[in-house]
Amino acid sequence: MSLLEVDRINAYYGDSHILFDVSLRVEARETLALLGRNGAGKSTTLKSIMGVLAPRSGRVLLDGQPIHGLRPFEVARLGVQLVPEDRRIFAGLSVEENLELAALTAPHALDPAQIFTHFPQLGQRRKNRGRDLSGGEQQMLAVARALVRDPKLILLDEPFEGLAPVLVQELVRAIRRLAEQGRTIAIVEQNVTATLSLAQRCYILSNGHVVHEGAARELRKSPEIMGRYLGL
Amino acid sequence: MNRARGDGGLTQSGAEQTGRPVRGRWRRRAGGETLKRVWPEAGMLVGLAAAPLIAPHLGITLDMACRMLIWGIFGLGFDILFGYTGLLSFGQSAFFGTGGFVAAWLLVSHAISNSLLALALGVVAAALLGLVIGFVSLRTVGIYFAMITVAFGQMLYFLENSPLSRWTGGENGLPGVPKPEVSLGMLSIAVASGRATYYFVAAFFFAGFWLARRIIQSPFGAVLCAIRDNTARAAALGHAVNGYRLAAFVAAAAYGGLAGGLLGYLQGYMPPDAFSLDTSGRLVIQSVIGGAGTLVGPLLGASIWIYLREVLQEVPGIGNLWKLILGVAFVALVTLFRRGVCGELRALMRREAGAARGPDEQALALSARSVRPRPGHSMLMTPADQATAAVRQAAAVERATAAATSAAPAAGRYEPERGRPPAIEARGLTKRYGGVRAIDNVSLAVAHGELRALIGPNGAGKTTLLRMLAGEVRPSAGNVYLRGERITGMTTTAICHRGLSKTNQINQLFPQLSVYENLVIPVLARKRGRFKLDLLRDVQRVGGLPEDIEPILAAVGLGERARLPVSALSYGDKRRLELGLALATAPQVLLLDEPLAGLSPAERRRAVEMLRGLRQGCTMIIVEHDMDAVFALADSISVLHDGRMLAQGTPDSIQRDPMVQQAYLGGAGGDESA
Amino acid sequence: MAVMISWPLLFSQLFNGLALGALLALTSAGLTIIYGALGVVNFAHGAFFMVGAYAGYLAFAYTDSFVLAMAVGALFAAGVGILLERSLIRFYYARPPEDQILLTFGLAIVLVELVRAVFGSLSRRVAVPAWGAGVVNLGFMIYPRYRLEALSIVALTLSVLGLLLYRTRQGFIVRAGIEDSLMVSMLGINVARIFLLVFALGAMAAGFAGIVDAPIVTVNPDMGQDLLVRAFVVIVIGGVGSFGGAVLGGLIAGEILSLTAMINPAYSDVMLYAAMAAVLILRPQGLMGAEGRR
Repeated sequence: MSLLEVDRINAYYGDSHILFDVSLRVEARETLALLGRNGAGKSTTLKSIMGVLAPRSGRVLLDGQPIHGLRPFEVARLGVQLVPEDRRIFAGLSVEENLELAALTAPHALDPAQIFTHFPQLGQRRKNRGRDLSGGEQQMLAVARALVRDPKLILLDEPFEGLAPVLVQELVRAIRRLAEQGRTIAIVEQNVTATLSLAQRCYILSNGHVVHEGAARELRKSPEIMGRYLGL
Repeated sequence: MNRARGDGGLTQSGAEQTGRPVRGRWRRRAGGETLKRVWPEAGMLVGLAAAPLIAPHLGITLDMACRMLIWGIFGLGFDILFGYTGLLSFGQSAFFGTGGFVAAWLLVSHAISNSLLALALGVVAAALLGLVIGFVSLRTVGIYFAMITVAFGQMLYFLENSPLSRWTGGENGLPGVPKPEVSLGMLSIAVASGRATYYFVAAFFFAGFWLARRIIQSPFGAVLCAIRDNTARAAALGHAVNGYRLAAFVAAAAYGGLAGGLLGYLQGYMPPDAFSLDTSGRLVIQSVIGGAGTLVGPLLGASIWIYLREVLQEVPGIGNLWKLILGVAFVALVTLFRRGVCGELRALMRREAGAARGPDEQALALSARSVRPRPGHSMLMTPADQATAAVRQAAAVERATAAATSAAPAAGRYEPERGRPPAIEARGLTKRYGGVRAIDNVSLAVAHGELRALIGPNGAGKTTLLRMLAGEVRPSAGNVYLRGERITGMTTTAICHRGLSKTNQINQLFPQLSVYENLVIPVLARKRGRFKLDLLRDVQRVGGLPEDIEPILAAVGLGERARLPVSALSYGDKRRLELGLALATAPQVLLLDEPLAGLSPAERRRAVEMLRGLRQGCTMIIVEHDMDAVFALADSISVLHDGRMLAQGTPDSIQRDPMVQQAYLGGAGGDESA
Repeated sequence: MAVMISWPLLFSQLFNGLALGALLALTSAGLTIIYGALGVVNFAHGAFFMVGAYAGYLAFAYTDSFVLAMAVGALFAAGVGILLERSLIRFYYARPPEDQILLTFGLAIVLVELVRAVFGSLSRRVAVPAWGAGVVNLGFMIYPRYRLEALSIVALTLSVLGLLLYRTRQGFIVRAGIEDSLMVSMLGINVARIFLLVFALGAMAAGFAGIVDAPIVTVNPDMGQDLLVRAFVVIVIGGVGSFGGAVLGGLIAGEILSLTAMINPAYSDVMLYAAMAAVLILRPQGLMGAEGRR
């Protein structure tokens, strides 16, 4: 049984049909990439899993139990954690408070000190407010905030967006460490190179449809697929 | 979703989704319908004349009828403000009281003996006060507007109560207001009897009703409805919304002043509680119960209020419960029947009429009446042809300025010209949000007739850049030039009149209006300018309206659906209407923010064809993720990455640019180690 | 109407302003945290104030314990708030502000008229509790004991409210929820429950203010209306949605009302609105408001 199974979901924004029968699965302990151009429906897929946007049809199963139709806080309590693309750091709360808030309802929350070993830079700025962090630090905090809940599944929505190259590499290393610890991670990205360096498997979405599924290794070697669905 | 605020980033709740009822029609009708057009006035006239005969049988005295009409007059003005302009004021008592006390004081102090003149001066005083209060409170909207109007109403209450009590009588009010006399030259008639007073008040009500109907059916009224439905878009389509809102506020104040004056005449006494918050609240309740946006709704609401109060007070045991019953009814109406009694009745009648004909048939019948397909717009034309025709049509309206544009090469590819400023240019644009630079020193210049695509990964700042070009977002640094003229810091309205229009990523339509009525809004701005007080002109008589709108309808393929309310459109139709609104301003520069977003592949193909047809009359900047569409359309491409301009050039050169490849495909700096 | 201003009079008016200001601050704080968290301007807030006063009045009449009366007033208002939030108001969080205003305005009428139906329109006196009778000699002036105590009670309550909001886990969630309710939800917290809590807390603050104020004024069904309008002025001055703004705005409003009353009582309310208009023109977001006006 897969950790997460998305089964033919259809999602809409108002009248606008965004996802068409999207199916995918995430196996335990793997890192999965969800690729596609802007507007392909990648973020919408993550939002549908998290319960932010209820799919109009189809099923989402976590450990075989249906979670579609649950509200975001219920999905979160079952161990799924979304790191949204706009980060959504609480600007008025300190780094520590951001983590504390996330830990409140998690049954096996990690100690912030443990988190700071992954993100030493955040440790140095633990008393700073969210609004005073740089873009890279905010992204680190967004990931750390998800991690502190010790989730079964982390959904990363465009974690590299807007980061300087050196920060991208730092974040790639941090995510790789998490994966090596046996965490299950799904990444939505446009930064194909960085993402494929992390993932074992990948799906490609185009106009709300899943158009490709395969091993990340193979995709890296097939420029024609990358060109058709991802490139210019 | 728990609330709208703060969720925008994840849920995209568009303005189009506010499921409010469709109301406020000022549809265009064909010639032989004059009779139908005046039946509300005729019916009202007959009703007012006959009421004294019927009312006693219903237990309504003439005095009650007069009060109903006075509150009805007060409500006419409030309906223009709330029902048609969407501004919920809780301070209308200020004008009711001012009109009343000014008229009463003029007569009581014998400063003036002509009661009609006193009434008129009361109205003027109320309108002037409305101008002042409106000027301050209209700096805000929504909750702030409601709170601030409450506060101003109270301020007037306290002013009346003590500082001005020498004139107003303070807590005692002003007794001894004489019965009005109507003097017509040598002849003067004292309005003394109950029936005479009734007809005196009824004449004012009818005049007020007639005037309000005219206002609603005027171009001015059409703009008010647009402001109610989507203020920002109404402004971006060329209407100086602040002027319109202030005018509506003053009109409501004048109606309030008239009603207040009449109350003093009716009672022979001007009560201080005319200024109280209860007065304002009562007006709101009556209007909502009766149905806002119907003009007669407030009269009905007032009748219900007065009738219930008088009748229930007679019933032993529950005499003092009448207001509780009204309160419960009010909450029930607000929660269950949002349109009020008149609004629900009208909706029901429309539904009946619609059901009898069947929806498709109805739509066709309606469109056939007004939008007759002309030979030039036959079904055989491709959308591109139609679009070209539409733009030619639009360009003809502004021939003087568009002359050079239409001289652009027919083939479509632009050729840069020497010695002429670019159609639109940005120099060193920067936008900072807090410490983050969303756009960092971006410059670009787009030549006349050029179609420029703006691409880049999510979060690159494309929408922000576009919004700065359109004047929706003020840059932190740098300037925008439209045909050589600096437009930085201008309002969207001013920029629209200089020939720039923008479509939005999330549709910004007027949801309570029909497709045709939506398109009337930008065309009115073109014909009437930013602001015009043409209160008495019939919007249907505005010359050339159908001639301007029909080609747009045809261009965006909505001719068949012209009569449908926006709420009945599919998403793809709404998307095309979004474009149609921008086209109807006859822009020389058109900015398109993800025009294909949310469209199906078939709809995309159609839209691309349509855009290709449009490009001939227009300079365009298009933000789009659909690369096939971008390469099919663009003359040139600018790539934005991380708020900076990464590359600019022809589609071919962009496609080969290694930096661009990297921005899209891989993290700059590479990660080949894996 | 020139009045000779003596030092004792000035001090006593300053104290009056402080007492009135603290009361306004407490009521406005409830209004402003409800708005901040839920985006709803509660036109029924004055009715909660009135309901609290009546509940406390009844409890005081039956038990003779003013402490109990304060608890009953606060809790009853909170209960009414919870009932209304669950049954109606929560369905309006995503609706346009005009709809929210109409609903809460209608609910205010129903509450006021219900109370009127039960108790009648006549004002009722609430006696000063035994521990508040008499006057205190402060050395530079003599001041009614209960007013001094009421000032302390309200100041204490405000501090407690501030502590709740800034020092507790729940308050911490509320502040985060004010910023971004969806993200709070994605972190496993049931935001709907937090919203209810905020609403109840706001109603409770109003109800508590109602019963504490009752011995100073009189209790009648319309007592909440003037207060609501003043609370609007306070939060417009202080900045909508800001707790600190409500406190500052409340104190400013209280002092304006009471100091101008010393010179000419007729102008005191007018001056308050003039101050609001000035703030609105010079600093539209309010003294401590960060958010721009929508």
